[in-house]
Amino acid sequence: MRRYEVMVILDPSIEERAIAPSLDQFLTVVKNGGGSVEKVDIWGRRRLSYEIQKKGEGVYAVVDLTAEPAIVKELDRQLNLSETVLRTKVIRPEVH
Amino acid sequence: MAKPPPRKPKKKVCVFCQEKISYVDYKDTGLLRKFISDRGKIRARRVTGNCTQHQRDVATAIKNAREMALLPYTSTAR
Repeated sequence: MRRYEVMVILDPSIEERAIAPSLDQFLTVVKNGGGSVEKVDIWGRRRLSYEIQKKGEGVYAVVDLTAEPAIVKELDRQLNLSETVLRTKVIRPEVH
Repeated sequence: MAKPPPRKPKKKVCVFCQEKISYVDYKDTGLLRKFISDRGKIRARRVTGNCTQHQRDVATAIKNAREMALLPYTSTAR
């Protein structure tokens, strides 16, 4: 098991109250795989420094979790398949 | 012609070593902005005064932040 930090940029057209449920839905794969989600930090709407998919802003969220590497890889794959996700980044804060 | 007096270079100390920060967070854009020029370029070590290791950490953090659109790759404004 390893600690990960996953940052997600969601489509800004998503509704404010739909953000947390949609993230939870993505994170079920972690719970089913025996991992645990420590913290979900939703930054909210934020201007992007440059346009991504013609969009000037995005909804940022940072998730701290502990899971097996394969689980996180699967989570990242599923996030990238989703249309509402503009971009993701997986970081292991311990190793730098 | 008299030679110009030799410049006394002021020895800069790496801010991260001073503050004993071991991990440079890519999410801390306020801090990282100090290490980029107004064009968005990463400042050189001779400008920032960082030590080798921390300059490298800062550069990696800035690049991560750029990927997530927290910092610009280029900014032509001004």
